[in-house]
Amino acid sequence: MLDRELKKGSAELLILSLVEDQPRHGYDLSKLIEARSGGVLSFRVASLYPLLYRLEKRGWIQGRWVEKPGQRRRRYYRLTPAGATVLASQRSTWRAFVDAINRIAGVEHA
Amino acid sequence: MPEWPREIREEVRQHLDDQYRELRAAGASHDDAMRAMAADVAALSRDPMLVNTRGLAADFRYAFRTLRKSLGFSSIVIATLALGIGANTAIFSVVNSVMLRPLPYDRAGRLVVVWGNLHKPGLEEIPGSAAEFVDYRDRNRVFDAIAAYDTGGVTVTGLERPERISAAITTASLFPILATSPSLGRAFTAADEQPGRDRVAIVSHAFWQRRLGGAASVIGRAITIDLQPFEIVGVMPNGFAFPDDDTELWRPLAFTADDVSENQRGSHSYTIIGHLKDGATVEQAQAEMRTLGMQMGAEHRGVYRTGFSAAVRPLHEELVGASGPALLTLMTAVIVVLLIACANVANLLLARGAARQREMAIRAALGASRLRVLRQLLVESVLLAAAGGALGLALAATGIRALVALAPTTIPRVNEIAIDARVIVLTTIVSLVTGVVFGLAPALHASTPDLNDTLKEGARGAGEGRARGRMRRVLVAAEVALSLVLLVAAGLLINSFARVQVVDPGFRADHLLTARLALPASKYASIDRAQRFFDDLSGRLRQQPGIQGVAAINAVPFSGRGGDRSFFIEGRALAPGEPSPDEQVRFVTAGYFSAMNIPVRGREFTERDVSSSVHVAVVNDALARKYWPAGDAIGKRVQFQQDAVKRYEIVGIAGNIRHRALDAAARPELYVPVFQPLFDGFAMPAMDLVIRTAQEPQTAAIVLRQTVAALDPDQPVADVRTMEERIGLSLAVRRFNMLLLGLFASVALVLAGIGMSGLVAYAVAQRTHEIGVRLALGAQPREVVALLVRDGMMPALAGAAAGLAIAMAATRVMSGLLFGVGATDAATFATVAALLAAVALVACWLPARRATRVDPLLALRAE
Repeated sequence: MLDRELKKGSAELLILSLVEDQPRHGYDLSKLIEARSGGVLSFRVASLYPLLYRLEKRGWIQGRWVEKPGQRRRRYYRLTPAGATVLASQRSTWRAFVDAINRIAGVEHA
Repeated sequence: MPEWPREIREEVRQHLDDQYRELRAAGASHDDAMRAMAADVAALSRDPMLVNTRGLAADFRYAFRTLRKSLGFSSIVIATLALGIGANTAIFSVVNSVMLRPLPYDRAGRLVVVWGNLHKPGLEEIPGSAAEFVDYRDRNRVFDAIAAYDTGGVTVTGLERPERISAAITTASLFPILATSPSLGRAFTAADEQPGRDRVAIVSHAFWQRRLGGAASVIGRAITIDLQPFEIVGVMPNGFAFPDDDTELWRPLAFTADDVSENQRGSHSYTIIGHLKDGATVEQAQAEMRTLGMQMGAEHRGVYRTGFSAAVRPLHEELVGASGPALLTLMTAVIVVLLIACANVANLLLARGAARQREMAIRAALGASRLRVLRQLLVESVLLAAAGGALGLALAATGIRALVALAPTTIPRVNEIAIDARVIVLTTIVSLVTGVVFGLAPALHASTPDLNDTLKEGARGAGEGRARGRMRRVLVAAEVALSLVLLVAAGLLINSFARVQVVDPGFRADHLLTARLALPASKYASIDRAQRFFDDLSGRLRQQPGIQGVAAINAVPFSGRGGDRSFFIEGRALAPGEPSPDEQVRFVTAGYFSAMNIPVRGREFTERDVSSSVHVAVVNDALARKYWPAGDAIGKRVQFQQDAVKRYEIVGIAGNIRHRALDAAARPELYVPVFQPLFDGFAMPAMDLVIRTAQEPQTAAIVLRQTVAALDPDQPVADVRTMEERIGLSLAVRRFNMLLLGLFASVALVLAGIGMSGLVAYAVAQRTHEIGVRLALGAQPREVVALLVRDGMMPALAGAAAGLAIAMAATRVMSGLLFGVGATDAATFATVAALLAAVALVACWLPARRATRVDPLLALRAE
């Protein structure tokens, strides 16, 4: 179901938001999306990682392998300054979009 | 089509792995978890970007990272392989340098030695005489050059102290044949071969450096050799060593008319080597020399026994042939060690493969074909083998230095042993092949095509895959079998060595000092003068405190010296064509037998046995039995020239002694007083002094040197050694073989022990659940340990049984290296089997103990 959301570009916003405060690895991201959406949103593995790859190629996020003692190494993604700009602009676009929908359809904020 | 970067694929794998763990942790069964993930996996395997098309380089990078992550595992594997490959590289270097590499002066293998041949044991390699050399040279059509030489010690005086050195006397043709010329000065020319113009010498690089100051001005300098003036005309290049490693001086061989006369045709004292013409083969040379030898036999019936002919043998074979069996045994041993190492590593990889099944399943889920997974696993094992090979090469370089230092000097070409390109190429090949061999079986198992089955089997945790378990047990059994074979071989050598060491040489070897004294003929022209010198010397030495006996012999036991002579027995006519008896003849001074503690029946030689008195002889038991089986040798007379009037009456029968080596049977010997010369003009031979001491024999060496110097300051004393040292040297090759084989067998045993331990340890880890259940159901820890040990011992016992059977067949090939024990010696086999069983028991028990520490509750919950 999220695939459709992705096509609308919402997935990009989700990822960028989640790595805004701290770097996160892919599995962490998918768990967070599922948890915070209360199970409504969930990523397919086959979609999440290509997305991360695309975002990184665009320079919005940057992945780095981190090795912690006693753990396997994981790739942590953090927001780049360019990504922060995109996030800010996408947020305002989405806010405007959601406000518009609200005004028309009378749907309350969650 | 764009491909996903490698790193993202790793992330995906991790993601799936995390997901699986989490599902299982939450209580899902394996099947549930797989079902839950099925959609994801299916989506992934359809994604064209995920289909694995990585290159080999990426495989290597991935493998490197994987191995670095499990450093403990990698280190054990690399160390095991380094041991196996290192041992192989070291021994192969020796085989390569000694046996395979062409001689430095005969790269094309065109040199052969020409021997006279009577086709009887011991008479198949008869040196040539001057007359024969001339015949061979003038009548052959297979050699483009032919040389004759003889070796012997010379005394060099006129430098600050006299010295006895190894020298050779050779025809001028020798150096061109060896494709070597002096680095300084000139080689010998035909002019140097004229009697009277032959007072020239070429010295070795080492002698030039050591005794002549190493200056170019040495050419033309005078040098005194055996009290005769010579002119130094050349210095050989550094490293040139021919015919022996220690030859330091060469003189030209100038045949006189008498030398090449019919009279001297039977004086077989020269080694003759020929250089094959282009196109001529060893077989052709063999055929031609045989014909030539038979012609000579027919032309000179008075000289040759019937059946005489000539034969050739490649020089390379002549030099190194004798070391073949020992080297091949060692080479086999190290290959076996490598096989055991491979089996061990394969086992480790199998155990690891079991732990990595999920990883493999996910990789397969990501679209990797079986071939791709297989390739990845093989790349890992090749990488391990390459690291093992590199470390092994370093190990071998160190090992070779130790080997050369330990090696007895009797091993030919020992100074040439080194790692060369061929060794490195072989090590590389061995490493790669090793990697594939030990990697293939585990990889085939781990890349099992049925993904679901693998995942299920691996995840169940209660038992390992049936096939995998069987393979692990077979590998351990093979290891045990192979190490048992090696242990038996080593045991047989150790047993032989112990038996050789206690062989009674027939004389008292302790407290005995020996030294070589060669009185130059020019100074001691008459036997009388030599006798006076020896009388003076022995008289003075006997007065020294601590010296209990002094005597001399021309060839002391364990000196490698000696020679035979033909003789005639009074009253026994020879049938026409019947050869005269020919045995070892020794020349000794008075008191020799008592100084050596050799028992004599009858009497031994005394100071009164001189040329003017009745000539006497002593024979040993073996000779007495051979020619006088009735036991009436004493009183019989022998002579050394058919029509001579001089006869030697046998006055004593001496005990047999070991002359050449402790493991060589005593031969018939005939002793004659050296001062009762065999014929007119008999030159005083070089003699070995034997000095019986009360204290440590080496302490007499100083007194000996001082006493000789006081009598004749120009007289060197050479080859000063205690008899125990000599016997030790004669055992050196045997000891060396024993030590090396023992070392390899120990390595094999340790590796097999590790293999057995690993098997049990793995079983403990795999069966934690089962063990927990058993303990929870009230089984005693003791019983559980016994169960595990029994399971571990089964393959060990099967392997031991197979090993015993293999050893029975295999050790026969080394029977030539044994002494006093059969190749299937029951005691050795039993001891080795018991040792191996003990090691197996400990190796199984140590990890099995861990099972008793299993907490039943924890073990059950873990599942």
